[in-house]
Amino acid sequence: MFKDLDPILHSQLRLAIMSLLISVKEAEFTFIKEKTNATAGNISVQVQKLKDANYIEVTKQFKDNYPQTICKITATGVKAFEAYVKTLQEYIKKS
Amino acid sequence: MSENFSPQQSLQLIQTMIERTKTNLRENSFYFLLWGWVTFGAVLTQFFLKVVLEYRHHYLVWLVTIIALVITIIYGNRQNKKQGYKTYLGESMGNLWMGIGISFFILTIIISAGIGWLHAWPFFILFYGLGTFTSGKIIQFKPLVVGGIICWLLAITCVFVQYDYQLLIAAAAILSSYIIPGYLIKSKHL
Repeated sequence: MFKDLDPILHSQLRLAIMSLLISVKEAEFTFIKEKTNATAGNISVQVQKLKDANYIEVTKQFKDNYPQTICKITATGVKAFEAYVKTLQEYIKKS
Repeated sequence: MSENFSPQQSLQLIQTMIERTKTNLRENSFYFLLWGWVTFGAVLTQFFLKVVLEYRHHYLVWLVTIIALVITIIYGNRQNKKQGYKTYLGESMGNLWMGIGISFFILTIIISAGIGWLHAWPFFILFYGLGTFTSGKIIQFKPLVVGGIICWLLAITCVFVQYDYQLLIAAAAILSSYIIPGYLIKSKHL
């Protein structure tokens, strides 16, 4: 039905992650977990998919001896997100 | 999670998520109030020491800003850790005030080396004005913009009065650019 919608973004958790990242400069994995209420495992899988599509950048580092994963949206990601929202608006207008 | 959700649900989800990242601008009030009260207290104490007690080293009271700086760094680091994300807005504010802070430091050197302390206050108030005005524009908060403009007017006024009374003008500048807007941000949901 929604064939024009980017399949990478048209998935609840991936869209939620992208929506969080679009409004910040960068966010920690734990922040994404807290705001989406999803499990760490599920988020990891979706983050990897977004990373493979080059929509986000993932940096792993150590802070105060704790591993920290930081996600940041890329220019490609921003473009895809904007295109997705535009398509959504067209669907809503039609209906 | 289901992938069969409607465009309306999609938009709703985007909106909810963006809502959750909205920076709580009230957190900025901490910095404005901390620096507002510290500098306000310092400038009035300096006035008291110089004019009433006629104490020679009245300027030493400004060493208190070192404590405020340490508190700012510790609080800022803690907040960053707690938040788990960085926004461009938050970073712009931090960088602006870091720049103003460095400018104050450089200005102190320039004044000590050449211009002389009798002409210092108009320049300090000018920078208060710049920081406050720009902060107000960044977070779109009018009282800060107005506070910045008041500072610029006070900077001009300062040139025409004696050093001792410049201290009182500086106190007025701090009140209008830090303390009053600080309480207004705190009381408001932005």
